[in-house]
Amino acid sequence: MTASTVPAAAGAAPPSQQPSPETGSSGDGQGPGPRRRLTPYWLLLPAGLWLAVFFVAPFFYQASTSVQSGSLEEGFRVTWDFTNYSDALATYGPHFLRSFLYAAVATLLCLLIGYPLAYMIAFRAGRWRSLLLVMVIAPFFTSFLIRTLAWKTILSDSGPVVGVLESLHILDFTSQLGLTGDDRLLATPLAVVCGLTYNFLPFMILPLYSSLERIDLSLHEAARDLYAKPTTTFRKVTFPLSLPGVVAGTLLTFIPASGDYINAQLLGSPNTQMIGNAIQKQFLNVLDYPTAAAMSFILMAIILIAVTVYMRKAGTEELV
Amino acid sequence: MAADSPALAPLRWLRRNAVVIAGLASLGYLLLPNVVVMLFSFNKPAGRFNYEWRTFSTDAWTDPCGVADMCGSLGLSLQVALLATLFATAFGTFAAFALARYRFRGKGTGNALIFLPMAMPEVVMGASLGTLFLNTRVAFGFVTILIAHIMFCLSFVVVAVKARVMSMDPRLEEAARDLYAGPVQTFVRVTLPLAAPGIAAGAMLSFALSFDDFIITQFNAGPSTVTFPMFVWGAAQRGVPVQVNVIGTAMFLIAVAIVLGGQITANRRRRAR
Amino acid sequence: MTITLTGVSKVFGDFTAVHPLDLTIPEGSFFALLGASGCGKTTTLRMIAGLEEPTGGSIRLGDDDITGLPPHKRPVNTVFQNYALFPHLDVSENVAFGLRRRGVTSVQKQVEEMLELVELGPLAHRKPRQLSGGQQQRVALARALINRPQVLLLDEPLGALDLKLRRQMQLELKRIQTEVGITFVHVTHDQEEAMTMADTVAVMNGGRVEQLGAPDELYENPRSTFVANFLGTSNLIEAEITAVEGEELRLKAVGADTVLRLPAQRCAVEDPRAGGKVLVGVRPEKISLTRAEDADSSDAAGAIREGSNLLTGRIRDAAYLGVSLQYVVDSPVCPEFSVYEQNVERDTRLVPGTEVVLHWQPSHTFALDAAQDADAGTVEEAL
Repeated sequence: MTASTVPAAAGAAPPSQQPSPETGSSGDGQGPGPRRRLTPYWLLLPAGLWLAVFFVAPFFYQASTSVQSGSLEEGFRVTWDFTNYSDALATYGPHFLRSFLYAAVATLLCLLIGYPLAYMIAFRAGRWRSLLLVMVIAPFFTSFLIRTLAWKTILSDSGPVVGVLESLHILDFTSQLGLTGDDRLLATPLAVVCGLTYNFLPFMILPLYSSLERIDLSLHEAARDLYAKPTTTFRKVTFPLSLPGVVAGTLLTFIPASGDYINAQLLGSPNTQMIGNAIQKQFLNVLDYPTAAAMSFILMAIILIAVTVYMRKAGTEELV
Repeated sequence: MAADSPALAPLRWLRRNAVVIAGLASLGYLLLPNVVVMLFSFNKPAGRFNYEWRTFSTDAWTDPCGVADMCGSLGLSLQVALLATLFATAFGTFAAFALARYRFRGKGTGNALIFLPMAMPEVVMGASLGTLFLNTRVAFGFVTILIAHIMFCLSFVVVAVKARVMSMDPRLEEAARDLYAGPVQTFVRVTLPLAAPGIAAGAMLSFALSFDDFIITQFNAGPSTVTFPMFVWGAAQRGVPVQVNVIGTAMFLIAVAIVLGGQITANRRRRAR
Repeated sequence: MTITLTGVSKVFGDFTAVHPLDLTIPEGSFFALLGASGCGKTTTLRMIAGLEEPTGGSIRLGDDDITGLPPHKRPVNTVFQNYALFPHLDVSENVAFGLRRRGVTSVQKQVEEMLELVELGPLAHRKPRQLSGGQQQRVALARALINRPQVLLLDEPLGALDLKLRRQMQLELKRIQTEVGITFVHVTHDQEEAMTMADTVAVMNGGRVEQLGAPDELYENPRSTFVANFLGTSNLIEAEITAVEGEELRLKAVGADTVLRLPAQRCAVEDPRAGGKVLVGVRPEKISLTRAEDADSSDAAGAIREGSNLLTGRIRDAAYLGVSLQYVVDSPVCPEFSVYEQNVERDTRLVPGTEVVLHWQPSHTFALDAAQDADAGTVEEAL
């Protein structure tokens, strides 16, 4: 059996819904009149104004707050005091490191756990597909705080997970690595990462699924027809084509995970506090707004830079 | 080809279905907490915390509002979510049409403005908006929560509606205009019904996000405005009543029933034709 | 109602889709705009529909100027490419759409009648996506016709159908047009479709009408290389006019000594005179082949008629198509001469390598301006 066939739909464009070049430029008849030219601005005005006032403007307030000094009793004044930044980095450096480390590991785990599920739903689920998709989204319907609390039960010291891991001596091994301690899972970095992974898994699965679902099955057949083993088909065809989903999924997981403080608070210990915990504490408990603003600013800057670099890198890799 | 020995058959089956097995395991991981929440809604815990199983009881189900302030916070969350959904869906739909249908100066800025809130950790958005309210001496309360929720829901509505509008065939609206529908009629009779699934998806997403939001809310709530997630947060420090699990389970079941019901009727309608 | 386009043009940015165009489409006619994609035919149609605003010129419907009228105020309806049926409405609501927008309240009876006309009565409550391509096409037609427009515009209405269905719908469209008697303006890139249905065809190329006329007129007497090649196939030979004798032109093909003749009115060159260069054309099916060795005997198979135009050549390729035989002949004047022979009295000796004489009637010959690209409108050019 070495005959090479040409799968019917491979490479053939689906029946085009695109308007032909002759009709393409017309759009929806945007005439040149001045009223029509203003229409998009009117449409964009409410949302744009809302975001400008309540999303963009706050960053300027935050920037100014971050260089203030003073105390709650005496009031804060802008003194161009950049020591807020250096102090924040000096005091909360470990928090920053932990945040990015935990978020990165959780993102990687999400990719590893989420990919098989997305793949299964896209290619192997048949008529169960929509039911499975509902089940992926279903956890969202229960408040995620309640679900995170459920992990306290699952990972509790007398719970079955700890019991099994203990009897298999896995906990001894992980505590040697410093991931757990005292024969328990709660209040360890492992629990925090586990919670982060769990909480943001659907954000990985959904973009992965939507990019996998778009892949034409006949491409798999074509690859197999051209002598690719299943693993080679995956490496050379499926995975590269799902890259947009991988990029979107990792961003949607990493960004919220790095700013999260709920998992670290509920499942972790004082030694697993992330930068979110620090910001929250400074802002809501200590009421040291300048320090909170400085930390929040540093977090934002790092994430914006990381996202830009990552997207640029992912973009160029896609071209190769 | 390697020899097909029968001893290797289970191994081959395993290899062929490895993806399915791994996928189902992931699904289990994803659903396990919901099962635990459901199970523990029938628990009768010994102390204030509902983390360890004692005995079966339906006490919490027969008296869901038996905990002080919980149902009040639930009502507040529903109120905020409904209003935030209403505003975010309206504003977001307008913006989506502008960005999907028109070419204009500043479109790139508009797109970036919509994208950025989704690329920002919630704690950053929450803290900076809180700073704005502090500096402008706006009292924290219902209004500040609502403002914050509309802000972060907007982008998601725009993305959902925009995707739908972009996939709509512009010829359908031309056909309507050709068939004697003026601009208003074209919009009401053709454009809006066609965009409806996208708008509905955006609205549902808004509702879910707003109802479940904790981080941004915590930075912008007042002392007397405790939303349901904030109540749960507080309870996690003081003691979690079983009723929290009842609410979580009920929300889960209602939502799943709505989605499945919708799918079944859609399927039946398709088959009936 | 007669449509009159006067100096109508359309410019998109720096691309001129339609150069100033004068066109009169008589009332009750079936008028086709034929051309390759991007030739401006759809833009012209859309300007008549009001979906595109002309950059210049005016459009009149009967005596009314409709140039500035929006589409929903024009008594003109369109059958769109890919039909543009409303996916959220069922068949009967799609058909009733136009009536309802004009405030007609009792539409039931008219919709039923219209669905009867296009034979879709039983499917009235289906959604468009539950219909086949042919059925969708009929819905699109019914949805436009129910409004009794003064002009019906059809934008590649059969483009999405398979060949057999397309043939059937061609005849059906023609029947409906005769029945309702309104003006049809039909845009297509399929020359066969245009020739089957239309009374008048305007061949468009590069935003201009190359030639306008009845289908047989266009085919028998093309006035440009584009029309000669786009409608069917033509053999074009470079030639020089040697003499003008009354109503007849005499020419000499470049690279051959034989004299070719054709009637003067079949020459598209204005004021032909001796010494002028032209492209001489002849359709492949007008040519007969005779083996060179039989050329002199008058009783042999495929005898050459007195006064025919003659060329010599050698068969390079022969293909048996059942209904006809197609030959490619190498000739000194033209490297690939196409010849189609009816499969009536097949000469089995005409195999590749045979020396042959090609002969055809002077009245089947046409001459075109030599200043044009001889390959305009061919398939090769399109690729």
